[in-house]
Amino acid sequence: MSAVTSPGSVVLEARNMTRRFGGLIAVNDVSFDVREGEIFGLIGPNGAGKTTLFNLMTGLTPPSSGTLTYRGTTVTGLQPNRVAALGLSRTFQNIRLFKGLNALENVKIAQHVRTEAGLWRGVFGAAKAEEARVEARAWELLDLVGMADRAGELAANFSYGDQRKLEIARALATEPRVLLLDEPAAGMNTSEKGQLTGFIRQVRDQFNLTVLVIEHHVPLVMNLCDRVAVLNFGQLIAMGNPAEVQRDPKVIEAYLGGE
Amino acid sequence: MTDFLSTYGFLIVTMLQAGLLGLSLYFPLQAGQLSLASPGFYSLGGYVAAILLTNPAFAGLRDTLGNAMFPLTWLVAAVLAGLLGLLVGVPALRLRGIYLALATIAFVEVLRVISLNLSITGGAIGLFGIPQPFGIVDRWQYVFIFGPLLILTLLFARQMERSRVGRALRAIREDELAADAMGVPPTRYKVLAFVTGAVLAGIVGAMSAPLLSSWNARQGTFDASIAILAFVLIGGSRHTWGPVVGGALLTAVPEVLRFLADWRLVINGLVLVVASLYLPQGIVGALEKLGRPRPPQRPTPVKPAEVRP
Repeated sequence: MSAVTSPGSVVLEARNMTRRFGGLIAVNDVSFDVREGEIFGLIGPNGAGKTTLFNLMTGLTPPSSGTLTYRGTTVTGLQPNRVAALGLSRTFQNIRLFKGLNALENVKIAQHVRTEAGLWRGVFGAAKAEEARVEARAWELLDLVGMADRAGELAANFSYGDQRKLEIARALATEPRVLLLDEPAAGMNTSEKGQLTGFIRQVRDQFNLTVLVIEHHVPLVMNLCDRVAVLNFGQLIAMGNPAEVQRDPKVIEAYLGGE
Repeated sequence: MTDFLSTYGFLIVTMLQAGLLGLSLYFPLQAGQLSLASPGFYSLGGYVAAILLTNPAFAGLRDTLGNAMFPLTWLVAAVLAGLLGLLVGVPALRLRGIYLALATIAFVEVLRVISLNLSITGGAIGLFGIPQPFGIVDRWQYVFIFGPLLILTLLFARQMERSRVGRALRAIREDELAADAMGVPPTRYKVLAFVTGAVLAGIVGAMSAPLLSSWNARQGTFDASIAILAFVLIGGSRHTWGPVVGGALLTAVPEVLRFLADWRLVINGLVLVVASLYLPQGIVGALEKLGRPRPPQRPTPVKPAEVRP
């Protein structure tokens, strides 16, 4: 593994993360660091364990062993909602919006961890200022993804590409420090894919984020990512800048098959 | 007027009562939890009121408090139902869908069998001679007890739905895992919704004990679970008014059709079948579809300084 210098201090440290499902080792002893402000790509053939790794990182699946720390705080073992509160937010490969609710509500819900009105304050209307803040921020985020004019539309009615963008808006509503995007370009058309690179960079800069992205679309990974980690059969087989990784014989073998 | 009230007064009261019990099931349903536990908490509330109002041990308290004894029974029933709701809800809400429904049916049965066998609950005979509150002489006057509770509950439900808690419940109903990942702790809110329903059912039970003037193990049964579920399904499970409309309608139809003698139950069954076939969103849900939903209005920015970049 080559040493890559990148600006920013280490924010995420994954150490020996492993997940077994019965006899299958989906993620096998994976360790890596992610530095503040970088866009870190996670690639690998289908079934390599990328989404499982995201699930381990966000608390949806507990690891069999290994740890993830975020700025010194242990993330592994926390419930997903506590991970979100800590500042790690994600999108889903198979889009998990609140489909029966409109776009605005989807984004309002995700501000839950940054607000605090309980049952009684809500019932007695004593949280007006907070509600106004939630509402205003939700509209801003819809503006960001260009959906403010369709705020009342049910999430289920949006196109695939728009649902992915709405999921990013929803993830941003949790006010994350680290954004994990699981195949953001899947289902997008060519022009949407073209705009995605710029959009992710813009979001990263505007919200001072560190971004992890799982992606299959090679041009997108090459243009977007500062560093790329390659998983194959659950193991980390290469890591470095996109050009290096692309030339790595182990990576070529993983994708194209060996002799 | 007096004729009308003496004929239909009791029916109107039971319609309100049905609406309230429907709402007690509607709260957990807001978070997507199909619980049939309401009759259990209703039964518990009734026993609490019946014991406080008839047991010789509380004679002194009754003499001191007079009519204030009745609100006290509501309060005690609410607290005990809430605590039991918490006790049952925390483990039971680990189950999903039909398994939760089955577990809550079991809970109702367990409570029923316990009440059949305790001496404090009067065993199989139950408790008799429950006094009437506030000098009520005719049963239609219970409208003044159930009516305000219904109004308060509807206001509570509406306010809750518009709040942060209401959004959290809807998020869990839509996709529990995604809600969790977006920062909504599912267990806490599922238990909250379940306990809210339990407290309401407990209060309704405590108010119903004097109405029936006796209380026994037939008050909280599996049949009641299914009837209350039907109130919600026929009325509509996505709107506060749904359980109220469903409860009122399904209580009234068999009574209004009484002149049909045995056929009335056939008609009642037909209403259920037709409504569930043609109005899957319930009556209120179907009515709501007629009116176009209002698109959310963007609030006019007042103080730009407050808006975070």
